[in-house]
Amino acid sequence: MDGVRKLTQAYSQAPWRKQIQLLGLFLLIVVLVALIAGIYLNVTARAATMGREILAMETRIEELNLENADLETRLAIVTSAMEMEKRAKDMGFEPLDRYEVTYLVVPGYIPRQQAVIAPPPEPVVVVPASLPSDYTESLFDWLQERVVPMLTRAMEAEQ
Amino acid sequence: MKSEHVWRYTLLGTVISVLAAFVVWQTIRIQLNPEQVQRFITDGEKYAGTWHTYYPARGLVYDRWGNLLAGNTTVFEVGAELAQVRNPHTIALTLNVVLGLDYSKVFDLVSQEPSEDAVYVRLYDYVTQDKIDRLQAIGDEIVATYGGSRDKDAPDLSGLVFTPHLQRTYPEKSLASNILGFVGRDDEGITHGYFGVEAKYDELLAGQPQTAWVPSDPNRAAEIPEISPGVSLVLTIDREIQTAMEEIVDETMDSSGSESVTIVVMDPNTGDVLAMATTPRLDLNQYWRYGEVFEGETPFNRAVSQAYEPGSVYKVLTMAAGLDSQAVKPESTFVDTGIFEIGGTYIYNWNSGAWGPQDMQGCMQHSLNVCLAWVASQTGAKQFYEYMNAFGIGRQSGIELAGEASGRLKEPGDADWYDADLGTNAFGQGVSATPLQMAAAISAIANDGKMMAPRIVRSIVNNGHQYNPEPRVVGMPISAATAQTLTELLARSLESEASVSLVEGYRVAGKTGTAEIPTPYGYTSNVTNASFVGWGPLPEARFLVYIWLEKPQTSIWGSEVAAPVFPEVVEKLVVLMDIPPDDVRNALLSQ
Repeated sequence: MDGVRKLTQAYSQAPWRKQIQLLGLFLLIVVLVALIAGIYLNVTARAATMGREILAMETRIEELNLENADLETRLAIVTSAMEMEKRAKDMGFEPLDRYEVTYLVVPGYIPRQQAVIAPPPEPVVVVPASLPSDYTESLFDWLQERVVPMLTRAMEAEQ
Repeated sequence: MKSEHVWRYTLLGTVISVLAAFVVWQTIRIQLNPEQVQRFITDGEKYAGTWHTYYPARGLVYDRWGNLLAGNTTVFEVGAELAQVRNPHTIALTLNVVLGLDYSKVFDLVSQEPSEDAVYVRLYDYVTQDKIDRLQAIGDEIVATYGGSRDKDAPDLSGLVFTPHLQRTYPEKSLASNILGFVGRDDEGITHGYFGVEAKYDELLAGQPQTAWVPSDPNRAAEIPEISPGVSLVLTIDREIQTAMEEIVDETMDSSGSESVTIVVMDPNTGDVLAMATTPRLDLNQYWRYGEVFEGETPFNRAVSQAYEPGSVYKVLTMAAGLDSQAVKPESTFVDTGIFEIGGTYIYNWNSGAWGPQDMQGCMQHSLNVCLAWVASQTGAKQFYEYMNAFGIGRQSGIELAGEASGRLKEPGDADWYDADLGTNAFGQGVSATPLQMAAAISAIANDGKMMAPRIVRSIVNNGHQYNPEPRVVGMPISAATAQTLTELLARSLESEASVSLVEGYRVAGKTGTAEIPTPYGYTSNVTNASFVGWGPLPEARFLVYIWLEKPQTSIWGSEVAAPVFPEVVEKLVVLMDIPPDDVRNALLSQ
């Protein structure tokens, strides 16, 4: 009995050591919480910054859309039929009379094409639903496909 | 631990515990009090974002070559953020000077006390960029002079805000105005398309406005909706041809003293309307002058909205029915005695004369009412009206323009149809159609019997993709052989009389028309509708031209006022459409 007590005493922790352990555990938890909070704060801050950038970009897109619309209209005004005719007359050109036209065969000549403002709709391609082989092949298939050829090659190399 | 320190730690622990308990208690109290919960939610929502209505950019309209006919330009709404306003007098005075707004009205509006219901006040809209530049320059000058001043009465434009948005603009002003229509504002300030394609495609062009919650939280930026612009249209109109036709319309109007002139140019192979020129026209950028330009009941586009009795040009359809039904043949002889009785009514020729024996070419060449009434009677009422229905007479053509009239075709069985109508309808009296319906019907003869649906919209651009619908065949009212026979017959009839409508170097077919105008007291003889329809170059026509002069003053006859316009039109068309003369074309084809 006395032997047991001595043994217990020999391996039991001193009270200050227990306190240090508890303190260490507490500090570890605090550090972990701080670490997680730091990471969370960092990610949140980055997400918020990105969000702000997106908002700024949205505003910029809106501004650019307005500017594009303005420029397109301004270009149309300076190239309008009336303006072009006036400019051509100022440069000394005259309206073409049909008797002044000479027709020639020009090999490879491509006549004026009608307006293409946007590409045509893409054809609807029906893709058969398929899962990657990783989801469908059995272990046996996998062994047969990957491992067996490898072993065969190794055996051939040995021979 | 020393005992004297124990009470301090105990006190600290107690205070912290009480504070923590208070926080927990407050949390529970708020959670359990619905009024508090609602107040917090309301306060939170107030600052969480705003409701915003997004108006998509109105779709654009192009001609067939991509020239912009209807676009958008930036204008500004001028308003005041009431909480920011420091000097209402400066704002009212500046807007009075620059925009011409009423000083006292603006002063009263911007002097309002800001409240939950009065945050922002709209002062003026559709202000152009140059005026905004002027306002900003004045603002900058005030800041430079009085910036930082503590004087309460110092000039200040704080609170004045400019919000940009788009406004419809027409770079070509009045060109093709009758086709385009315009975008205007109703009494509530809401924009709508009026007339033409702007009205017909109003919803598609305008796009779908979306009201969405715009969160202030940057983490929810992705929730801001993406607004697709309205659908854009590519028309079949050729800007250069339209310009040339409008010039001819104006010249003809002046030279003939007509009340109105209309020219429709179509590609009979596709139904594409290449030009549709009429009078009057409006600078679409000044759409508010509509009432001044279109007086009384003047239609916006006579080519589609005004049905009239076409007169002798209608004989083309009567002869087509007669030939196709084999009631008559080109060589059939009719002895014109100058009078024909049908349904108890007597039909006379335009000159009240008797023309003796005539083949069908002679009947068309001399435009004999008596002969054509006979052709219709030979065809038979049932078949005649079946053909007219097949040609689309009496119903809308379905062109993509607002306000299309359907015209009128009385048929056997209608309460107001009499046997005599078959005789008068044969030469275009007692039947009404729009210039476009007539052009579409006769285009079947120019296109080997195949009638194409007339169209003004060639492509639709939606969500970044261009859809090009194929030209649509409406039907085959007559056979290809009949169409070719009739075309040849009409070409020869023009050549035989050395008509003023002939075009040197190009073989064409055509027919004049002079129609008396119906009134409540009968038909008038001193004012007429003069028309001409022609197509070419033969044998494979690339254009069909329909000309209508309403009440010309210089002559009542279509052969004298409408027919001479045709070669003018063709001379422009052959250059603009790169159509070589027949001899050159044949030589090039034989190479």
